[in-house]
Amino acid sequence: MIATPRYLGRGSWLGRRDPRVPLLVGVLTAATVIQIWDIRIIAILFIIGQLYYRSAAIPFRLVRRQWAFAIVFVSILVVVNTVLTGGAIGDYDRSDLHPLFYLPLLGTPISAESLSYGATQLLRFLTFITIGFPIAYAIAPSDLGPALARLRIPEKFAFGVDLTYRFIPSLAADLQETIDAQRVRGYEWDRVRGGPVARIRRAIPLMVPLTMNAIVGAEDTIDAMDLRGFGTGRRTWLRELRYDRADRLLVGTAIAILVAATVASFAGLTKLWVFPLLLALAGA
Amino acid sequence: MSSMSSFASRSMWSVDSRTIVYAAIGAALYGVLALFSVVIPGSNNVSVRPAFAIVPFFGYAFGPVVGLFTGLVGNAIVDQLSGYGLLTAWNWHIANGLVGLLAGIFAASSIARLGGSKIIGAAAVAALSVAIGMLFVFSDMVVFGNDFNTALTGSYLWVLVPDLIAGVILVPILALAWEPLKESLGR
Repeated sequence: MIATPRYLGRGSWLGRRDPRVPLLVGVLTAATVIQIWDIRIIAILFIIGQLYYRSAAIPFRLVRRQWAFAIVFVSILVVVNTVLTGGAIGDYDRSDLHPLFYLPLLGTPISAESLSYGATQLLRFLTFITIGFPIAYAIAPSDLGPALARLRIPEKFAFGVDLTYRFIPSLAADLQETIDAQRVRGYEWDRVRGGPVARIRRAIPLMVPLTMNAIVGAEDTIDAMDLRGFGTGRRTWLRELRYDRADRLLVGTAIAILVAATVASFAGLTKLWVFPLLLALAGA
Repeated sequence: MSSMSSFASRSMWSVDSRTIVYAAIGAALYGVLALFSVVIPGSNNVSVRPAFAIVPFFGYAFGPVVGLFTGLVGNAIVDQLSGYGLLTAWNWHIANGLVGLLAGIFAASSIARLGGSKIIGAAAVAALSVAIGMLFVFSDMVVFGNDFNTALTGSYLWVLVPDLIAGVILVPILALAWEPLKESLGR
Protein backbone atom coordinates (compact mmCIF):
# COMPACT_ATOMS: atom_id res chain seq x y z
CA MET A 1 0.00 0.00 0.00
CA ILE A 2 1.47 3.38 -0.98
CA ALA A 3 -0.73 5.20 1.50
CA THR A 4 1.73 5.35 4.34
CA PRO A 5 4.49 7.95 4.63
CA ARG A 6 7.92 6.34 4.94
CA TYR A 7 11.02 7.92 6.44
CA LEU A 8 13.56 6.28 4.15
CA GLY A 9 16.29 8.89 4.42
CA ARG A 10 16.79 8.32 8.15
CA GLY A 11 20.42 8.79 9.18
CA SER A 12 21.53 10.04 5.73
CA TRP A 13 23.38 13.33 5.28
CA LEU A 14 20.19 15.06 4.09
CA GLY A 15 18.12 13.22 6.70
CA ARG A 16 20.28 14.79 9.41
CA ARG A 17 19.60 18.29 8.11
CA ASP A 18 17.07 20.61 9.69
CA PRO A 19 13.65 19.51 8.26
CA ARG A 20 13.11 23.03 6.98
CA VAL A 21 15.98 22.58 4.53
CA PRO A 22 14.34 20.08 2.11
CA LEU A 23 11.15 22.19 2.16
CA LEU A 24 13.02 25.43 1.42
CA VAL A 25 15.25 23.84 -1.23
CA GLY A 26 12.12 22.37 -2.86
CA VAL A 27 10.30 25.70 -3.01
CA LEU A 28 13.40 27.62 -4.20
CA THR A 29 14.12 25.02 -6.89
CA ALA A 30 10.52 25.10 -8.09
CA ALA A 31 10.75 28.89 -8.39
CA THR A 32 14.02 28.48 -10.30
CA VAL A 33 12.93 25.78 -12.74
CA ILE A 34 9.69 27.59 -13.64
CA GLN A 35 11.77 30.38 -15.21
CA ILE A 36 14.01 28.23 -17.39
CA TRP A 37 13.35 26.79 -20.86
CA ASP A 38 16.94 26.25 -21.93
CA ILE A 39 17.54 22.50 -21.65
CA ARG A 40 21.27 23.01 -21.09
CA ILE A 41 20.60 24.99 -17.90
CA ILE A 42 17.88 22.54 -16.85
CA ALA A 43 20.34 19.67 -17.37
CA ILE A 44 22.80 21.34 -14.97
CA LEU A 45 20.02 21.82 -12.41
CA PHE A 46 18.96 18.19 -12.89
CA ILE A 47 22.51 16.98 -12.17
CA ILE A 48 22.74 19.18 -9.07
CA GLY A 49 19.30 17.83 -8.09
CA GLN A 50 20.51 14.24 -8.50
CA LEU A 51 23.53 14.92 -6.23
CA TYR A 52 21.16 16.43 -3.69
CA TYR A 53 18.80 13.43 -4.03
CA ARG A 54 21.69 10.99 -3.51
CA SER A 55 22.61 12.73 -0.26
CA ALA A 56 19.24 11.50 1.09
CA ALA A 57 20.37 7.86 0.53
CA ILE A 58 16.84 6.73 -0.31
CA PRO A 59 17.07 3.02 -1.24
CA PHE A 60 16.02 2.76 -4.88
CA ARG A 61 14.32 -0.62 -4.48
CA LEU A 62 11.89 0.95 -2.00
CA VAL A 63 10.88 3.80 -4.31
CA ARG A 64 11.15 2.01 -7.66
CA ARG A 65 7.36 2.02 -8.10
CA GLN A 66 7.13 5.72 -7.33
CA TRP A 67 9.90 6.55 -9.84
CA ALA A 68 8.26 4.34 -12.49
CA PHE A 69 4.86 5.99 -11.91
CA ALA A 70 6.34 9.50 -12.05
CA ILE A 71 8.38 8.87 -15.20
CA VAL A 72 5.53 7.15 -17.05
CA PHE A 73 3.04 9.84 -15.97
CA VAL A 74 5.16 12.83 -17.02
CA SER A 75 6.17 11.12 -20.28
CA ILE A 76 2.51 10.58 -21.19
CA LEU A 77 1.76 14.17 -20.17
CA VAL A 78 4.51 15.56 -22.41
CA VAL A 79 3.56 13.39 -25.41
CA VAL A 80 -0.17 14.11 -25.05
CA ASN A 81 0.46 17.83 -24.68
CA THR A 82 2.65 17.83 -27.78
CA VAL A 83 -0.12 16.12 -29.75
CA LEU A 84 -2.87 18.29 -28.28
CA THR A 85 -1.10 21.54 -29.07
CA GLY A 86 -0.99 20.55 -32.72
CA GLY A 87 2.71 21.29 -32.66
CA ALA A 88 2.28 24.86 -31.38
CA ILE A 89 4.98 26.15 -29.03
CA GLY A 90 4.42 29.01 -26.58
CA ASP A 91 5.52 32.30 -28.18
CA TYR A 92 6.57 30.74 -31.49
CA ASP A 93 4.68 31.64 -34.63
CA ARG A 94 3.75 28.54 -36.66
CA SER A 95 5.63 29.93 -39.64
CA ASP A 96 8.84 30.02 -37.55
CA LEU A 97 8.72 26.28 -36.80
CA HIS A 98 10.88 23.74 -38.63
CA PRO A 99 8.77 20.61 -39.22
CA LEU A 100 10.57 17.27 -39.27
CA PHE A 101 7.55 15.07 -40.03
CA TYR A 102 3.77 14.90 -39.59
CA LEU A 103 1.96 12.46 -37.31
CA PRO A 104 0.00 9.91 -39.35
CA LEU A 105 -3.82 10.32 -39.20
CA LEU A 106 -3.66 13.43 -36.96
CA GLY A 107 -1.43 15.43 -39.28
CA THR A 108 0.21 17.17 -36.31
CA PRO A 109 3.53 18.70 -37.36
CA ILE A 110 6.44 17.54 -35.21
CA SER A 111 9.08 20.22 -35.48
CA ALA A 112 12.61 20.73 -34.20
CA GLU A 113 11.10 23.24 -31.77
CA SER A 114 8.32 20.95 -30.48
CA LEU A 115 10.75 18.07 -29.87
CA SER A 116 13.17 20.41 -28.05
CA TYR A 117 10.23 21.80 -26.06
CA GLY A 118 9.03 18.29 -25.15
CA ALA A 119 12.52 17.20 -24.06
CA THR A 120 12.93 20.37 -21.97
CA GLN A 121 9.51 19.92 -20.40
CA LEU A 122 10.34 16.31 -19.52
CA LEU A 123 13.63 17.27 -17.88
CA ARG A 124 11.93 20.12 -16.01
CA PHE A 125 9.41 17.64 -14.60
CA LEU A 126 12.17 15.19 -13.66
CA THR A 127 14.04 17.96 -11.85
CA PHE A 128 10.89 18.83 -9.88
CA ILE A 129 10.42 15.16 -9.01
CA THR A 130 14.07 14.67 -8.02
CA ILE A 131 13.88 17.54 -5.57
CA GLY A 132 10.43 16.38 -4.35
CA PHE A 133 11.55 12.89 -3.28
CA PRO A 134 13.61 14.07 -0.29
CA ILE A 135 10.60 16.07 0.95
CA ALA A 136 8.58 12.85 0.90
CA TYR A 137 11.21 10.50 2.27
CA ALA A 138 13.95 12.43 4.07
CA ILE A 139 11.83 14.38 6.56
CA ALA A 140 10.57 12.53 9.61
CA PRO A 141 6.75 12.81 9.42
CA SER A 142 6.69 14.03 13.02
CA ASP A 143 9.04 16.91 12.07
CA LEU A 144 6.75 18.37 9.40
CA GLY A 145 4.53 20.29 11.83
CA PRO A 146 7.36 22.03 13.72
CA ALA A 147 9.21 22.67 10.43
CA LEU A 148 6.20 24.40 8.87
CA ALA A 149 5.51 26.35 12.07
CA ARG A 150 9.15 27.55 12.19
CA LEU A 151 8.82 28.63 8.56
CA ARG A 152 6.15 31.02 9.85
CA ILE A 153 3.28 29.10 8.29
CA PRO A 154 0.18 29.78 10.50
CA GLU A 155 0.51 27.40 13.45
CA LYS A 156 -2.99 25.96 13.10
CA PHE A 157 -2.24 25.05 9.51
CA ALA A 158 1.10 23.53 10.59
CA PHE A 159 -0.65 21.54 13.30
CA GLY A 160 -3.25 20.39 10.76
CA VAL A 161 -0.49 19.04 8.49
CA ASP A 162 1.13 17.33 11.47
CA LEU A 163 -2.20 15.77 12.41
CA THR A 164 -2.85 14.66 8.82
CA TYR A 165 0.39 12.66 8.81
CA ARG A 166 -0.53 11.09 12.13
CA PHE A 167 -3.96 10.04 10.82
CA ILE A 168 -2.69 8.42 7.61
CA PRO A 169 -1.33 5.15 9.09
CA SER A 170 -4.43 4.55 11.23
CA LEU A 171 -6.79 5.36 8.34
CA ALA A 172 -4.76 3.05 6.07
CA ALA A 173 -5.25 0.28 8.65
CA ASP A 174 -8.98 1.10 8.86
CA LEU A 175 -9.19 0.92 5.07
CA GLN A 176 -7.60 -2.52 5.08
CA GLU A 177 -10.05 -3.65 7.77
CA THR A 178 -12.98 -2.29 5.74
CA ILE A 179 -11.74 -4.06 2.61
CA ASP A 180 -11.46 -7.33 4.55
CA ALA A 181 -14.90 -6.91 6.10
CA GLN A 182 -16.48 -6.23 2.70
CA ARG A 183 -14.62 -9.16 1.14
CA VAL A 184 -16.29 -11.44 3.65
CA ARG A 185 -19.56 -10.16 2.19
CA GLY A 186 -18.38 -11.02 -1.34
CA TYR A 187 -17.08 -7.59 -2.33
CA GLU A 188 -14.11 -7.39 -4.73
CA TRP A 189 -12.77 -3.98 -5.76
CA ASP A 190 -10.56 -5.49 -8.45
CA ARG A 191 -13.38 -7.29 -10.23
CA VAL A 192 -13.45 -5.44 -13.56
CA ARG A 193 -17.00 -5.10 -14.79
CA GLY A 194 -19.00 -2.19 -16.18
CA GLY A 195 -18.06 1.36 -17.11
CA PRO A 196 -16.58 4.16 -14.99
CA VAL A 197 -19.92 4.89 -13.26
CA ALA A 198 -20.33 1.26 -12.23
CA ARG A 199 -16.75 1.21 -11.01
CA ILE A 200 -17.23 4.38 -8.98
CA ARG A 201 -20.27 2.77 -7.40
CA ARG A 202 -17.98 -0.07 -6.38
CA ALA A 203 -16.07 2.40 -4.24
CA ILE A 204 -19.16 3.19 -2.15
CA PRO A 205 -18.93 0.16 0.20
CA LEU A 206 -15.39 1.27 1.06
CA MET A 207 -15.67 5.04 1.07
CA VAL A 208 -18.85 5.48 3.05
CA PRO A 209 -18.00 3.35 6.13
CA LEU A 210 -14.38 4.51 6.17
CA THR A 211 -15.34 8.19 5.96
CA MET A 212 -18.13 7.99 8.52
CA ASN A 213 -16.02 5.98 10.98
CA ALA A 214 -13.20 8.50 10.60
CA ILE A 215 -15.57 11.40 11.31
CA VAL A 216 -17.03 9.70 14.39
CA GLY A 217 -13.53 8.78 15.61
CA ALA A 218 -12.42 12.39 15.15
CA GLU A 219 -14.65 13.41 18.06
CA ASP A 220 -12.19 11.81 20.52
CA THR A 221 -9.31 13.83 19.10
CA ILE A 222 -11.40 17.01 19.23
CA ASP A 223 -12.29 16.34 22.87
CA ALA A 224 -8.65 15.71 23.75
CA MET A 225 -7.59 18.93 22.05
CA ASP A 226 -10.34 20.95 23.71
CA LEU A 227 -9.46 19.54 27.13
CA ARG A 228 -5.86 20.67 26.59
CA GLY A 229 -7.00 24.16 25.64
CA PHE A 230 -6.06 24.00 21.95
CA GLY A 231 -6.08 27.42 20.32
CA THR A 232 -6.26 29.39 23.54
CA GLY A 233 -2.64 30.52 23.40
CA ARG A 234 0.52 30.42 21.34
CA ARG A 235 1.51 26.83 20.64
CA THR A 236 4.99 25.53 21.43
CA TRP A 237 6.59 22.47 19.87
CA LEU A 238 8.54 19.79 21.68
CA ARG A 239 11.02 19.47 18.80
CA GLU A 240 13.53 22.30 18.67
CA LEU A 241 14.98 23.19 15.30
CA ARG A 242 18.27 24.93 14.65
CA TYR A 243 20.15 25.49 11.37
CA ASP A 244 23.80 24.38 11.30
CA ARG A 245 26.48 25.49 8.85
CA ALA A 246 25.63 22.82 6.24
CA ASP A 247 21.94 23.79 6.40
CA ARG A 248 22.77 27.44 5.78
CA LEU A 249 25.12 26.49 2.93
CA LEU A 250 22.46 24.39 1.22
CA VAL A 251 19.72 27.00 1.51
CA GLY A 252 22.17 29.77 0.55
CA THR A 253 23.18 27.84 -2.60
CA ALA A 254 19.53 27.33 -3.56
CA ILE A 255 18.87 31.07 -3.08
CA ALA A 256 21.95 31.96 -5.15
CA ILE A 257 20.80 29.67 -7.99
CA LEU A 258 17.31 31.22 -7.88
CA VAL A 259 18.74 34.75 -8.04
CA ALA A 260 21.04 33.80 -10.95
CA ALA A 261 18.12 32.16 -12.80
CA THR A 262 15.90 35.21 -12.25
CA VAL A 263 18.58 37.59 -13.56
CA ALA A 264 19.23 35.31 -16.54
CA SER A 265 15.49 35.08 -17.20
CA PHE A 266 15.09 38.89 -17.21
CA ALA A 267 18.10 39.10 -19.54
CA GLY A 268 16.34 36.69 -21.94
CA LEU A 269 18.97 33.97 -21.51
CA THR A 270 16.63 31.16 -20.42
CA LYS A 271 14.41 30.87 -23.50
CA LEU A 272 13.79 27.58 -25.33
CA TRP A 273 16.99 26.18 -26.82
CA VAL A 274 16.41 24.20 -30.01
CA PHE A 275 18.79 21.31 -30.70
CA PRO A 276 21.01 22.34 -33.69
CA LEU A 277 20.98 18.73 -34.91
CA LEU A 278 17.18 18.80 -35.17
CA LEU A 279 17.29 22.13 -37.00
CA ALA A 280 19.83 20.66 -39.41
CA LEU A 281 17.60 17.62 -39.96
CA ALA A 282 14.70 19.96 -40.68
CA GLY A 283 16.85 21.64 -43.32
CA ALA A 284 17.16 24.99 -41.52
CA MET B 1 -19.72 15.34 23.14
CA SER B 2 -17.62 18.40 23.66
CA SER B 3 -18.73 21.86 22.63
CA MET B 4 -21.97 20.57 21.10
CA SER B 5 -23.78 23.74 21.95
CA SER B 6 -21.17 25.80 20.13
CA PHE B 7 -21.99 24.28 16.74
CA ALA B 8 -24.84 26.58 15.93
CA SER B 9 -22.91 29.71 16.78
CA ARG B 10 -19.77 28.80 14.80
CA SER B 11 -19.04 30.97 11.79
CA MET B 12 -18.18 29.05 8.64
CA TRP B 13 -14.79 30.80 8.63
CA SER B 14 -13.85 30.04 12.24
CA VAL B 15 -10.79 27.85 12.79
CA ASP B 16 -10.96 25.83 16.01
CA SER B 17 -10.06 22.31 17.11
CA ARG B 18 -13.04 20.92 15.21
CA THR B 19 -12.00 22.60 11.97
CA ILE B 20 -8.40 21.41 12.29
CA VAL B 21 -9.31 17.79 13.08
CA TYR B 22 -11.93 17.44 10.34
CA ALA B 23 -9.54 19.09 7.87
CA ALA B 24 -6.76 16.68 8.81
CA ILE B 25 -9.14 13.70 8.60
CA GLY B 26 -10.29 14.87 5.15
CA ALA B 27 -6.75 15.30 3.82
CA ALA B 28 -5.65 11.94 5.24
CA LEU B 29 -8.71 10.17 3.80
CA TYR B 30 -8.04 11.69 0.38
CA GLY B 31 -4.43 10.47 0.59
CA VAL B 32 -5.40 6.96 1.69
CA LEU B 33 -8.31 6.47 -0.71
CA ALA B 34 -6.45 7.85 -3.73
CA LEU B 35 -5.00 4.36 -3.98
CA PHE B 36 -8.15 3.44 -5.86
CA SER B 37 -8.46 4.86 -9.33
CA VAL B 38 -10.35 3.75 -12.41
CA VAL B 39 -9.04 4.34 -15.92
CA ILE B 40 -11.86 5.39 -18.26
CA PRO B 41 -11.88 2.80 -21.07
CA GLY B 42 -10.85 4.25 -24.43
CA SER B 43 -9.54 7.47 -22.92
CA ASN B 44 -5.97 8.68 -22.95
CA ASN B 45 -5.04 7.42 -19.50
CA VAL B 46 -7.80 9.54 -17.91
CA SER B 47 -8.59 8.01 -14.56
CA VAL B 48 -11.48 8.60 -12.19
CA ARG B 49 -10.36 8.93 -8.60
CA PRO B 50 -13.33 8.19 -6.35
CA ALA B 51 -11.28 9.68 -3.51
CA PHE B 52 -11.59 13.11 -5.10
CA ALA B 53 -15.22 13.23 -3.88
CA ILE B 54 -13.82 13.59 -0.35
CA VAL B 55 -12.78 17.19 -1.20
CA PRO B 56 -16.20 18.64 -2.13
CA PHE B 57 -17.87 16.46 0.53
CA PHE B 58 -15.72 17.80 3.38
CA GLY B 59 -16.30 21.33 2.10
CA TYR B 60 -20.04 20.64 1.89
CA ALA B 61 -20.27 19.03 5.34
CA PHE B 62 -17.75 21.03 7.39
CA GLY B 63 -17.34 24.37 5.66
CA PRO B 64 -14.95 26.18 3.34
CA VAL B 65 -11.87 26.14 5.61
CA VAL B 66 -12.03 22.34 6.00
CA GLY B 67 -12.69 21.95 2.27
CA LEU B 68 -9.75 24.16 1.35
CA PHE B 69 -7.36 22.27 3.62
CA THR B 70 -8.65 18.85 2.49
CA GLY B 71 -8.08 19.66 -1.18
CA LEU B 72 -4.81 21.55 -0.75
CA VAL B 73 -3.02 19.22 1.65
CA GLY B 74 -4.77 16.04 0.49
CA ASN B 75 -3.70 16.51 -3.12
CA ALA B 76 -0.17 17.40 -2.02
CA ILE B 77 -0.02 14.16 -0.02
CA VAL B 78 -1.36 12.11 -2.93
CA ASP B 79 1.30 13.56 -5.23
CA GLN B 80 3.98 13.10 -2.61
CA LEU B 81 3.15 9.47 -1.85
CA SER B 82 2.72 8.52 -5.50
CA GLY B 83 6.17 9.86 -6.36
CA TYR B 84 4.96 12.70 -8.57
CA GLY B 85 6.43 15.14 -6.09
CA LEU B 86 5.06 17.65 -3.64
CA LEU B 87 5.97 20.68 -5.73
CA THR B 88 5.84 19.36 -9.31
CA ALA B 89 2.27 20.57 -9.85
CA TRP B 90 1.75 22.81 -6.82
CA ASN B 91 -0.87 24.82 -8.68
CA TRP B 92 -3.07 21.68 -8.83
CA HIS B 93 -3.05 21.53 -5.03
CA ILE B 94 -4.48 25.04 -5.03
CA ALA B 95 -7.09 24.04 -7.63
CA ASN B 96 -8.16 21.12 -5.41
CA GLY B 97 -8.24 23.42 -2.40
CA LEU B 98 -10.46 25.86 -4.28
CA VAL B 99 -12.92 23.04 -5.04
CA GLY B 100 -13.25 22.34 -1.30
CA LEU B 101 -13.46 26.03 -0.45
CA LEU B 102 -16.20 26.66 -3.01
CA ALA B 103 -18.12 23.55 -1.93
CA GLY B 104 -18.17 25.00 1.59
CA ILE B 105 -19.40 28.37 0.37
CA PHE B 106 -22.03 26.89 -1.97
CA ALA B 107 -23.24 24.52 0.78
CA ALA B 108 -24.23 27.57 2.81
CA SER B 109 -26.10 29.09 -0.14
CA SER B 110 -29.42 28.30 -1.82
CA ILE B 111 -27.58 26.00 -4.25
CA ALA B 112 -27.51 23.30 -1.56
CA ARG B 113 -31.30 23.42 -1.40
CA LEU B 114 -31.77 23.15 -5.16
CA GLY B 115 -34.91 21.21 -6.11
CA GLY B 116 -35.81 20.92 -2.44
CA SER B 117 -33.74 17.76 -2.27
CA LYS B 118 -30.51 17.04 -0.41
CA ILE B 119 -29.37 14.72 -3.20
CA ILE B 120 -29.81 17.29 -5.97
CA GLY B 121 -28.40 20.05 -3.76
CA ALA B 122 -25.27 18.08 -2.89
CA ALA B 123 -24.77 17.05 -6.52
CA ALA B 124 -25.17 20.67 -7.64
CA VAL B 125 -22.69 21.89 -5.01
CA ALA B 126 -20.19 19.24 -6.10
CA ALA B 127 -20.62 19.95 -9.81
CA LEU B 128 -20.33 23.73 -9.47
CA SER B 129 -17.38 23.66 -7.11
CA VAL B 130 -15.48 21.25 -9.37
CA ALA B 131 -16.29 23.19 -12.55
CA ILE B 132 -15.25 26.56 -11.05
CA GLY B 133 -12.44 25.50 -8.70
CA MET B 134 -10.64 23.49 -11.32
CA LEU B 135 -10.43 26.58 -13.55
CA PHE B 136 -7.27 27.29 -11.57
CA VAL B 137 -5.47 24.57 -13.56
CA PHE B 138 -5.27 27.16 -16.34
CA SER B 139 -2.31 28.40 -14.29
CA ASP B 140 -0.46 25.60 -16.12
CA MET B 141 -0.01 28.31 -18.77
CA VAL B 142 2.32 30.11 -16.36
CA VAL B 143 3.79 27.17 -14.45
CA PHE B 144 4.42 24.81 -17.38
CA GLY B 145 4.36 27.27 -20.27
CA ASN B 146 1.35 25.57 -21.89
CA ASP B 147 -0.78 27.48 -24.37
CA PHE B 148 -4.53 27.99 -23.88
CA ASN B 149 -5.61 24.97 -25.96
CA THR B 150 -3.31 22.63 -24.05
CA ALA B 151 -4.47 24.02 -20.73
CA LEU B 152 -8.10 23.58 -21.82
CA THR B 153 -7.94 20.11 -23.34
CA GLY B 154 -4.88 18.67 -21.63
CA SER B 155 -5.52 20.00 -18.14
CA TYR B 156 -8.99 21.41 -17.48
CA LEU B 157 -11.22 19.04 -19.48
CA TRP B 158 -8.86 16.18 -18.67
CA VAL B 159 -9.58 16.56 -14.98
CA LEU B 160 -13.08 18.05 -15.14
CA VAL B 161 -14.84 15.02 -16.61
CA PRO B 162 -13.56 12.37 -14.17
CA ASP B 163 -13.84 14.65 -11.15
CA LEU B 164 -17.39 15.63 -12.09
CA ILE B 165 -18.36 11.97 -12.42
CA ALA B 166 -16.84 11.13 -9.02
CA GLY B 167 -18.25 14.25 -7.33
CA VAL B 168 -21.79 14.09 -8.66
CA ILE B 169 -22.18 10.39 -7.80
CA LEU B 170 -20.37 10.15 -4.48
CA VAL B 171 -20.94 13.50 -2.75
CA PRO B 172 -24.74 13.04 -2.48
CA ILE B 173 -24.24 9.49 -1.16
CA LEU B 174 -21.72 10.66 1.45
CA ALA B 175 -24.01 13.59 2.33
CA LEU B 176 -26.93 11.22 2.87
CA ALA B 177 -24.83 8.92 5.05
CA TRP B 178 -23.60 11.97 6.99
CA GLU B 179 -27.08 13.33 7.67
CA PRO B 180 -28.14 10.98 10.56
CA LEU B 181 -24.61 11.10 11.96
CA LYS B 182 -24.71 14.88 11.93
CA GLU B 183 -27.83 14.81 14.08
CA SER B 184 -26.31 12.41 16.58
CA LEU B 185 -23.16 14.54 16.82
CA GLY B 186 -25.27 17.63 17.37
CA ARG B 187 -24.26 19.51 14.23
